[in-house]
Amino acid sequence: MVVYLIKRLGLSLAVVCAVILVLFSLLHLIPGDPATIALGPRATPEAIARYAAKMHLDEPVWMQFLIYVGNALTGDLGVDVFSDRPVTTIIMERIGFTLSLVFAGMGWAMLLGIPLGCLAAVRRNSWLDRVTGVLSVGTIAVPSFLVSIWALLIFAVELRWLPAIGAGEPGDLGDQAVHLILPAFAIGLSWVGYLARMVRASMLEVMGETYIRSARAFGLRPRRIVFGYGLRVAILPTITLIGMGFGGLISSTVFAEIIFARPGIGKLIFDSVMARNFPIVQGGVLVATGLYILVVLISDLLIAWLDPRVRETL
Amino acid sequence: MTKPTLSRRAFLASSVAVAGTAGLMPAWPTPAHAQMGKVLRLRLDGDPDVLDPGYMSGGIEIEAQKQCLPFLADYHRDGDTITWKKTPFANRLEQRDPTHIDFELAEGLEWSDGYGPVTAADVKYSYERMKGTDWSGYFEALDHVEVTGDRTGTIVLNKPFSPFIMVTLCHGPGAILSEKAMKDVGEKFTTEFPAVCGPYTYSATPGQRVVYDLNPQWSGPKPGFERVECNVITQVKAAELAFEAGELDCTELGADTLARYTAEMPEGAEITTAGELQYMWLGMNTDHPKLKDKTVRRAIQHAVDVDAILQGAYSGTTTKSNGIICPGLIGRREDTKHYRYDPAKARELLAEAGISDLDLTLRTLNTQERMLAAQIIQANLAGLGINVKVLPLDSGPYWEMGQESKGDTWKELELWLMRYGTTPDPYEATQWFVSDQVGVWNWERWTDPEYDRLYEAGIKETDPQKRHEIYVRMQEIMEETGAYVWINHEPEAFVHSAEVKINAAPSGELNYRRCKPA
Repeated sequence: MVVYLIKRLGLSLAVVCAVILVLFSLLHLIPGDPATIALGPRATPEAIARYAAKMHLDEPVWMQFLIYVGNALTGDLGVDVFSDRPVTTIIMERIGFTLSLVFAGMGWAMLLGIPLGCLAAVRRNSWLDRVTGVLSVGTIAVPSFLVSIWALLIFAVELRWLPAIGAGEPGDLGDQAVHLILPAFAIGLSWVGYLARMVRASMLEVMGETYIRSARAFGLRPRRIVFGYGLRVAILPTITLIGMGFGGLISSTVFAEIIFARPGIGKLIFDSVMARNFPIVQGGVLVATGLYILVVLISDLLIAWLDPRVRETL
Repeated sequence: MTKPTLSRRAFLASSVAVAGTAGLMPAWPTPAHAQMGKVLRLRLDGDPDVLDPGYMSGGIEIEAQKQCLPFLADYHRDGDTITWKKTPFANRLEQRDPTHIDFELAEGLEWSDGYGPVTAADVKYSYERMKGTDWSGYFEALDHVEVTGDRTGTIVLNKPFSPFIMVTLCHGPGAILSEKAMKDVGEKFTTEFPAVCGPYTYSATPGQRVVYDLNPQWSGPKPGFERVECNVITQVKAAELAFEAGELDCTELGADTLARYTAEMPEGAEITTAGELQYMWLGMNTDHPKLKDKTVRRAIQHAVDVDAILQGAYSGTTTKSNGIICPGLIGRREDTKHYRYDPAKARELLAEAGISDLDLTLRTLNTQERMLAAQIIQANLAGLGINVKVLPLDSGPYWEMGQESKGDTWKELELWLMRYGTTPDPYEATQWFVSDQVGVWNWERWTDPEYDRLYEAGIKETDPQKRHEIYVRMQEIMEETGAYVWINHEPEAFVHSAEVKINAAPSGELNYRRCKPA
């Protein structure tokens, strides 16, 4: 297990290095002068010179890269081009909103998707299985930004049951939870379908295994067979899916964050791209990538812990 | 052997429990529009990053300054004309002669945080400091500020510069700062005011909102609302939906929504247009071999159907342009002089130039409206036998393409769609086309001694009628070069609750303290 852990950490580090290289190149690959792009066409020569000095643009490219990597490794992601605030501080202000949205979205999807998948497998070919199948494919097919817009139009604009924008009153957890409902619904809906399909397929395979037949022969209660024996094994591929889902949601929350005007990492990166605020784009993408790698690593380790065969596969 | 089953009843019971929990959630209060006179809910298109007038980006930062810092003058709409008047911070603001502006600050103005009264020395410090900042261009004409008393002084200009009050004092750079507070923060600040003096105090939650609460030390006229909450909503569409959901009292509108609302206004809503201080045109490079012949350029002027662009790309929500001077300003022209849409005349001119086959590239910023406008021009010119290739560009290369200091693209530049913004004085729009701007912002690359002479005259002239004539003539000279097809002026339009009367500067910055319950 330790060797597996070391290998996985090494692989993760390699991915982070590759991401740093790509992010650094971003600034130099975009056509045009980085300072003019960031500060606007009519920036004064003094402002351009200040920006160039701040971003070390007057240094050779290899030196700029070393400075960037060195700073990133110490947690210094630079400063916001406009406000001079540390990028790390700006990201930390937003990351909680993104994580709470991801957990809420994936949380409700798991609560509904996994039992639905179990039920569909256990009731194979029943009307419930068919309905679940159709709904699952339906929810997977509809993109989350469309669900966001529909949810907003129906529940906020037409019915006015739920708030349309923002993350709620700072310090008021109840208000913040209410502001989380629509975006969490929007980003979690397709995951209900994914999880239901995945769990159903895994369960069908597992429920045909001999140990399940033995459990039945011993007269164990169906609920115990399904949740205690079947789901325990069938959940393994689902954990991988959930891990990747968490990681993917960290970046794909951008649509919900934009549509519901919620603060978060995705919206921060999007706004910074629009404003050509490169230090925030670089820092935001690096942190989002780091989180993705972390979550996938945790899910891989969890599976390796649950299933010894996986440890030999790297 | 029995088939294992998960009881459907048990599953449904769980589902009902979940649904029931959701159903038991309290009925959320329907968001209503502003409790009148209490809270005004607005939209910000981003976080204010630099509140310092010397280093700000503008826009929302100017909005913040207008609530929390003193200004000597503010924009005023007099019928269709935009002019200025003194603010409650000043008892007196008078142009004594072309280079002297006398002022007297109002009594009882106090800085927050114990920084004492607002003095003429603060005015001197603030304006003279601006000469060394990113916004120094606005203070080029300032020589110095003479302090004649605690609250009185004279702004001394180094040359006659009639737009100084409109362009500089009314706009963001005209904000006054506390000298003592500035010295305490190292003479520069970003996201917190070192000291405020105005009807509101300022507090921001980055990424979420900015809140303005009543300033207890403010002794001037009471603002219309006790509190102003500005939500950070970067996308205009999201803000429009928030307005429709009743969570905002006012928001800026995009061109397509403006058209939709104009056709069918939401219940209880009104639209207010702040100003139209943007001017867009089709530009032609007079130095390019394909366009060097003025007759070819004049043919293109006659071939472009501007009305079709206004309808097709802007849904009829913008004002047709006849030059670079925007509606409401001195020098605005009522019509073009040297061309109008006439395809037959265009063909005739092209034949006269001996052109039968011409390939041109039209460069444009890659936004939806501009792309549509470019396609309409492409179709118009195709009717003339001119084959136009539309080249959409990102803002980086787009803003560099005509600048000699940024490479050689200016040599290949043929046609382009361009839009500039301006302040409410004709001087600013005309400055980009003088001879020394060729290869900088005058991408059409023509020069005219009369234009340069009139530019200097317009700055010095204080008589509005004479200024009008000067600026009309300058636009005629531009049009006569054949290098321009004037397109439109886009409005800064706001939709707001009919129960709120909003106030916005012509350039689109809302002035919260002048907003009132209707």
